[in-house]
Amino acid sequence: MYKLYIEKNISSEKLLKKVLDEYNIKDEIIYNEYGKPYLKNNEVYFNISHSGIYTVLVTSSSEVGVDIEKIAMHEKVMAKVCTDEEKKLIKNAEDFTKIWVKKESYVKFLGIGLSYGLKNVDTLKNNNFIIKKIDDYYISIYMED
Amino acid sequence: MKEEIINIIADTLELPKNHINEKTNLIKDLELESLDIVELINAFEMQYGIEILDQDIKNLQTVEDIIKYIENKNV
Repeated sequence: MYKLYIEKNISSEKLLKKVLDEYNIKDEIIYNEYGKPYLKNNEVYFNISHSGIYTVLVTSSSEVGVDIEKIAMHEKVMAKVCTDEEKKLIKNAEDFTKIWVKKESYVKFLGIGLSYGLKNVDTLKNNNFIIKKIDDYYISIYMED
Repeated sequence: MKEEIINIIADTLELPKNHINEKTNLIKDLELESLDIVELINAFEMQYGIEILDQDIKNLQTVEDIIKYIENKNV
């Protein structure tokens, strides 16, 4: 189970504080070697993403990754991070952005980020992505439980 | 090399050059997101004909880190 918070014009830090206050959690934030934040003493997992005016935060009882991105085509990025099969399916900016947020949510779930290699994430062979659209943004949440 | 790297960052991300120096942290100071970082890596690879390995990305936090990394590639 997860809970998704979507807010406009708020920093990641402020949204995290707001959500932790809601849970009445006063815990230390610790980071893994790739910079993924965790609560030191709580079994609540969270992940945050920001793009344009939106900040999103997901809480979950298990590891979770989230990414939000404004719909846009980035040809050079597509060439670098997409598999040949993914490239064949990308016909427009919406298609690219959906694949981008899936890849990002997965490497954020792993807690490794870009160092994992986005091309190593084959979004066509994994069905655990939860995709949402708000205005001209796509959000992907990735979890395995 | 330093000026060239700063120019590539500024041009790729459309940022003012006077906001960037050797000590600038890409995420903390320039608030770059993953898409920006991939765009930048692509720009450096094209400019210098090098490959920046995925596993090295986490070590490239400041402009100085990038300069040293590219210099070590014998560019």
